[in-house]
Formats: sequence, structure tokens, C-alpha cells
Amino acid sequence: MSASKYSAVSGIQHEEPLVFEHAHEAPESISLPGVVGDVYAGLNTFARKKDAGIPGLSEPETVRHFVRLSQWNHSIETGFYPLGSCTMKYNPRVNEQVARLPGLAFIHPEQPEDSVQGVLALLYELQGWLGEISGLPHVTLQPAAGAHGELAGLMMIRACLDARGDQHRKKVLVPDSAHGTNPASAALCGMHTVELKSGADGRIDLEELKKHLDVDTAALMMTNPNTAGAFESDIKEICQLVHDAGALVYGDGANLNALVGVARPGDMGIDCLHINVHKTFSTPHGGGGPGAGPVAVNETLAPYLPVPRIVKNAETYSLETESDTSVGAMLGVIGQTGVLMRANAYISAFGKNHLHNIAQDAVLNANYMLARLKDAYHVPFKGLCKHECLLTDEYQNKHGVKTLDIAKQLIDLGFHPMTVYFPLIVHGAMLIEPTETESRETLDAFCDALLEIAAQCEAGDTEVLHNAPVRSIRRRLDETKAARNPVLVWP
Amino acid sequence: MRYLPHTDTDRQAMLKTIGINKMTDLFADIPAAFHLPLGSLNIPEALSEVGISRKFNQAASKNEHVLNNACFLGGGTYNHFVPAVVDYIISRGEFLTAYTPYQPEIAQGTLQALFEFQTMVARLTGMDVSNASMYEAATATAEAALMARRVTRRKNVVIAGSVNPRYRAVTDNYLSRLDGSYQQVSMGKFGTDLDKVIAALDGETACVIVQYPDFYGSVYDLAPLRAACDAHGCLMVVAFSDISAFGLITPPGEYGADIVVGSGQALGIPMAYGGPHLGIFTCKQKYLRQMPGRVCGLTEDADGKRGFVLTLSTREQHIRRDKATSNICTNQGLMCTAAATYMTLMGDAGLETIARRSSAGLQALVSQLPSHVKAADGVHYNETVLSFASQQARDAVLAAARERNIFAGIPLERMEKGVEPLHLLVATTEMIEMDDINSLLAVMEVAA
Repeated sequence: MSASKYSAVSGIQHEEPLVFEHAHEAPESISLPGVVGDVYAGLNTFARKKDAGIPGLSEPETVRHFVRLSQWNHSIETGFYPLGSCTMKYNPRVNEQVARLPGLAFIHPEQPEDSVQGVLALLYELQGWLGEISGLPHVTLQPAAGAHGELAGLMMIRACLDARGDQHRKKVLVPDSAHGTNPASAALCGMHTVELKSGADGRIDLEELKKHLDVDTAALMMTNPNTAGAFESDIKEICQLVHDAGALVYGDGANLNALVGVARPGDMGIDCLHINVHKTFSTPHGGGGPGAGPVAVNETLAPYLPVPRIVKNAETYSLETESDTSVGAMLGVIGQTGVLMRANAYISAFGKNHLHNIAQDAVLNANYMLARLKDAYHVPFKGLCKHECLLTDEYQNKHGVKTLDIAKQLIDLGFHPMTVYFPLIVHGAMLIEPTETESRETLDAFCDALLEIAAQCEAGDTEVLHNAPVRSIRRRLDETKAARNPVLVWP
Repeated sequence: MRYLPHTDTDRQAMLKTIGINKMTDLFADIPAAFHLPLGSLNIPEALSEVGISRKFNQAASKNEHVLNNACFLGGGTYNHFVPAVVDYIISRGEFLTAYTPYQPEIAQGTLQALFEFQTMVARLTGMDVSNASMYEAATATAEAALMARRVTRRKNVVIAGSVNPRYRAVTDNYLSRLDGSYQQVSMGKFGTDLDKVIAALDGETACVIVQYPDFYGSVYDLAPLRAACDAHGCLMVVAFSDISAFGLITPPGEYGADIVVGSGQALGIPMAYGGPHLGIFTCKQKYLRQMPGRVCGLTEDADGKRGFVLTLSTREQHIRRDKATSNICTNQGLMCTAAATYMTLMGDAGLETIARRSSAGLQALVSQLPSHVKAADGVHYNETVLSFASQQARDAVLAAARERNIFAGIPLERMEKGVEPLHLLVATTEMIEMDDINSLLAVMEVAA
């Protein structure tokens, strides 16, 4: 079958040198405001001995350079981006517009409180909504990303245990399907992790959990739904066991998209949850960030929330900067306010009457794709999935084709591949997360592409798969060379 | 719901393919006790796009902003010029709505921009290598301390009291659950006393952290610190708050710093009430494998064409898990693209002009202060401490300045706990014009 039914075609794409390779000397480019005069007395003795070597380009050249670079990127605005555990959904343009209002984008974080009441009101509102959605009413908006939220949450758990006289509890249980940030965050918090082997169904095995729970256990860190896309149906028992052992339950909220408006982690017994607003609440990923990782906690952990906190007085909002029990500050500023504004706007667009449609359509889409693909691809764990579905390359391995080849062929057909080789608990993982903002037409096209690839494998027509991609601006890149002799700056 | 493409007809057809009857059956694996009654959350009903726009415009109108106020506030965040081109480039969906470049063949745009960013930041700070961003300056400072502990296999950290108090607090927080000491060396003045800092070093010190220009804006000779670090075998870590300084003054790398961290917010990124900003992390090449965070490296593709990939990932959490150099995953990627665009627009000449005008504003202000207002001693870049005879006098200036649409400075005790309420931390950038300075001076004459 030809690739022509898919959207990828060859178009005009430009090679573009590095800015350092543009030939001419820097022109007089930018006109600048400000005071023309002497600098501070004595500063000239500290003047640079030589220029830094930042090549200036004129404004039109700068725009063309970066616009050309932009055209080498796949993005959610240009195509399907079903990265499992990443929740790549449409980022509404009105959110970009409102976050850029001068009264939000051009305010200094140390302005007097009476000059920032509008932004404090929006942040306070978001704080309340995240508490409501998670079922954990006390929220800090400060953490800058999911992993930073994990650290904040573990610090709160540490503080709570210390206050109970449980300083010795330093063991954190982490399922082997967990995100790598979980054990890394625990180590940063002075704790050590013990890996729980997942059960045959990809879920937490209660017997395995019981075996490792003891008087040294500080917490269980779990993701629910887990990274295999399955809901931990024993959640009530899991939380009960952990609490009975005197430990707390940390929830990794990376997969909250499956639950929004449908069920709440706090109701299930989770004590603490970080929320990746750059996933669930559609703040753009920006090629790696910025995100924000607010943390929601129950009454047990509330005294330990980081400062500053936004509090509402009778008529006004203010920042509470002192607290005897707080774990302290996680950032030098109040938080990634601009990101949080977009999250507020996304929740506003759904409201109480539509928030559950996020989870419902996300889960519908993942199960629809699973239903279409389950005969052609190996499904390691049977049953309903939540917002993402997990496949492996087991059937294709017989024809010498690996997950990586499948991923690269998808690029030639105009798609961003799914998450590959994660979670680590299955061989050759392919984790597909469609999100709620994709049409059935798009889901069908992606499924057709995967079915076509599976058919090519069966037919032994695999040469093209090993060579893919050929239509992108670069073919497969040599990652070994990059790591062996790292060149991180232009000489 | 306008962001959801399905009609109910679509949903029914898809449910049929799945083999279930209704949407709620999709959640049959969640125990019934945990099912929320749909629509029951205590959140207002959905807003239209117009409704969202109105809501945010109304809220924004309750804030005062620096497009119609003169801003002398600094303390780690600075009101520098944000060129229209920078916001345009990072608004492009191809940069804005891409993920971390895990599939490099279709992310060369982000990757080349990161490579250019890393190169320009290394050149501006005078360092060998840069990573592809940390969250912001305070966490970057904390990560520098952690990295120095790994490099030296020592546990004690010394930090000057003239480092931004927020950076000190976050570093304290990061270190407090680990073994080892964290010594904050009190300066006793609004500046940096390197002798006191050096006196705190010994053979157990993993690193010493200073800020340059320091929290109070003062610039000083870092050379004695390099010599002291060599003598004690510890790393020299230099933090900064406003990277624009290095368009003019000798950067920390030229003094032999091992790790240089700070804020890149000045590189075309709006203040946005705290962020998203840009954490800078640079180091010497020899320490590269202990560096936290993502880095972009040069390589070639199957046809031998130049290309870029994320590299050295064996340092990172998704590979090394609990042995990773940091837990950071999501970083400030888009802000690297913003900073690369900004630096390309400016070039060396533009960056120097920005720095000179930022500093000239402060010189113009300080050289004309009325006699009852004292500026801190020392050589300053674009920030200093102004001291008043009484809190009443200071607060009167703040209030009178507000009347004239001027944010005159940050009450120092707001950032540095325990200092007397007599001081203002005052910063200037190229966005401050002579008229603004004259207005502030006039306020000082009459208000106090």
C-alpha cells in the first residue's frame, strides 16, 4: 500500500546553518531604549577583555532563521502526537492570548500585594479547583514541574514522618513500572527506594507490597492509572495496607487525564498528588518545558505545604511567607505563574458540566485504538485500558522488526510515534496516548498506519521499515557518536 | 465542548468497536464507591472563549503592570526589553506545542535552537558547556551544590550571605535532608567580603557559592576565590541574577569558576509574576558527566548530514533512576528558544548596549540622590541598596512613588529576613529612562 493516503508529503524544506555560520558581520540591528551615560564608577575596571562572540543578525534574518528551524519540528498543531504518559493534547490559542495580557505577563513578582490582586485571585481560584478535582483540598502551586512536585511531596511526607517521631522511615516503595523521576526524587530527599515487581496483570501485586511494607517504610509512590495504562483496581486495599504500616501514599499525577471529573485520587486514599498541568490541563510543552507541578495534599500533610502560600482574607488575597511547619521554599519565586494561568483557562473552558468529558473521551479514544490494534499487535495486559494503551513488538520481532523500526516508519507516514521502550516491565513497549482532543479520523489514520506496518512485517516487506525515516529532514541520527565524543557547543 | 472533536454518533460507533454500551462502562475497573456523580465538582460551569477572555481581562485589569509603571524592582527578576520577535518565535506552534525532542529526526528545530542556546550561554558566561536549562536560578544554585558534592565526594557547602536569600533558602532546603553541613557566611554589609568567605573553607568543603554581581548588585574581583578554592580542593560556584551584566563585565568563567548558574530571564523573557523564567547551568567540560539536566549534542545522521540529539542521557532519571544526577525531567525548553532568539537579535553589540544602559541608569540615580538617602558602598552594576533614616521616611517615598506610577524598590526585609526596615533594593534596566529617574529623585526630595 502506498503512503499517499497519509498526510506526509514532501514539501519545501530549507537547510539552515547555525547562527554562528552566517557569513556577514553583525549589522546595526536593534534599537534600544534607556539612559545613555556613564556606567557606575569603577565598573570599567571589570569590563570584558574580549567580546563574548554572540553573532548578531538583523531582525528579518533572525525571524527567517528561527522560522526555518521551527519548520523542522513536529508539533501537536501540525500532527498527531500520541506519546504515552505525556498527554499531548491541543493547546487552546485563547489560553496563549490571555496569559500574554500586560496585566499578567508584565508584572514583577515583588510588586506590592495591592498591585497584584487580579493574578492572586486567579492563582487562588486554580488552587481551589485542583483541590476539588484531586479530592485533596490543600494545594501548593509552587513546584515548577512534575519531578519538582514529587520532591515537594516527598519533603512533606518526610516532615510529617519526622513530626511523628518516625525519622527512621526512609524506605520508599516504587513499582518497577514507575517513571524514572520517582526513584530520583526519593534519592534527592534522602530516602532510598525498593522496587516492587509488578504482578502478571501489570498492576501492583498485593502480596509483593505486603512483603516490603515494614516499620522502615516511609511511602509508596504509585501512578494510577499506572504506566501500562491500567487502573490499579486494588487501590483501596493498597492505601489501607500502606496506612496500616504507618506509611503514606504518594500519587504521581502524570496520568490524571484518565480520571478528571470521573474519580478522585484523594477519595481513594492517596495522601499527596502532584499534577502535571502541562499534561492534564493543556499548558504547552514548549519542546521540553516549561511545565508546572502543583501538589495537592490531605489534612495530614497540609501543615507542611511549601511557602509562600496564597491565602484569601475577607476581601483581598495575600502571600503567607512564614510557617513553623512548612517544608520551606521550592523555588525562588512564587511559581510558574504564566503556565498556571493557562491551566486555569483550560479548566474554565470545561467547567463542572464538561470536565468529565476530558477523561471520558481520552479513555474512549485509547480503548478504541486498542480494539482496532489488538489482533495485529501483542497486548501484554488484557482488559480495559484507561487513557493510554500498551502494545509490544512481540509479533513483529518474528520478522526482525523492532519497536524502533515501527516508530521510525510512523514518522514517514506523518505521525509522531508513540512512547517507545517505556514502561520497562514489558519488552519492546509501545505506549499510545491519544488524548481527548483527537478526532476519530485521526485515530483511524494512525491505526491504519500501524496495521499497514504489521501487514508489511507479515509479508516480509521489512526493508523500508529498517531504513525509515527517509522523509524527515534528517534520517536516523547517531546517538552513540554524540555520547562518545560530546560536542555541546559550537567551537 | 469546542475542544472535543467527537459527536455522540462517533462515540456510539467507537463504543461499539470496543464492545461496550455506554461511556461510563469505560470506567468499570474503578470501584463503584469512587465514581463521582458527573458534574458534581464545586467548579463553575464552562465558559465560552469570550467568557474566558472577559474573565482574564477583568483580572488583569486589577493588576498594575510595568508597561505603565516605571519599575525599579529587581531581586532576581528584571524588567528588560522583550522584543516582539522573541514572543512571535516562541508562539509558533512548532516550537510551542512540541514535546521534548525524543524523536530527533522530527525535532531538529528545537534541537538546533538548543545547541545554539548552549553555545551562546557558554560564551556569555565564559564557560565550556551549558545544559539545556534548569527551572530557575534558585533550583539551579541548589543543583550546583549537589553536583559539587558528587564531583568532590565531599559533603559540606559554604555559601556567601550576599547570595540572593531565595537561592540560599532553596539550596538549604535541597541540602537539609542529606548528610553534610551548609554554612551561610554572614557578610555584615551590603556587599561581598571574600576574606570572610574564604576563611570558612577547609579540606572538607565540596564547594563555595558566591553571587556575582551579588544580591546587592555589587561587583568585585573573583580572583582571590579561585586561588582559595585551589588551595582547599573545592569547587568554585558562581551564581548570578541578571545575565545581562555579562554583556559588559568580565564573566565568571574568565575567573576560572567551575560551575556558573543563574537566571536567564533577562534574555527576552517576561517577568510574568514569577515565571516561567529560565535557569542557566554551565560548567567546565571536565565535569560534564556530573551535570544535571538535558543537554543537546552534535552528531550526524545515516547519510552523514549534521544533526543534533539529546545526549549523555545515562546521567538522567529515565535511565539511571535513583542514581541519576538530578530528578529533573521537564525543564524550561521553550525559554531556551526565546533566549537564543533574543541573543541572535542582540549580538555582542546589543548585549553590551543593554548592559551599559542598565548600569548607566543606576549611576544617574545614585549620583543625584538627596543627602538623606544613602547608596551602598562598592562598585555596582544595575542594582544597589538605598538606605533611609527611618522606616517612615522610606515608606513615604514608596507611597509617593506609587502615586506617580513608580515601583521605587523592594523593601529589603521582604527578601532578606531580619534586616531593619530602612532599606530599598533598587534596580535599573534599559527600560528606565532619564525621566523616570528624575521623577523618582523628585519624589525622594519631597516625600521624606
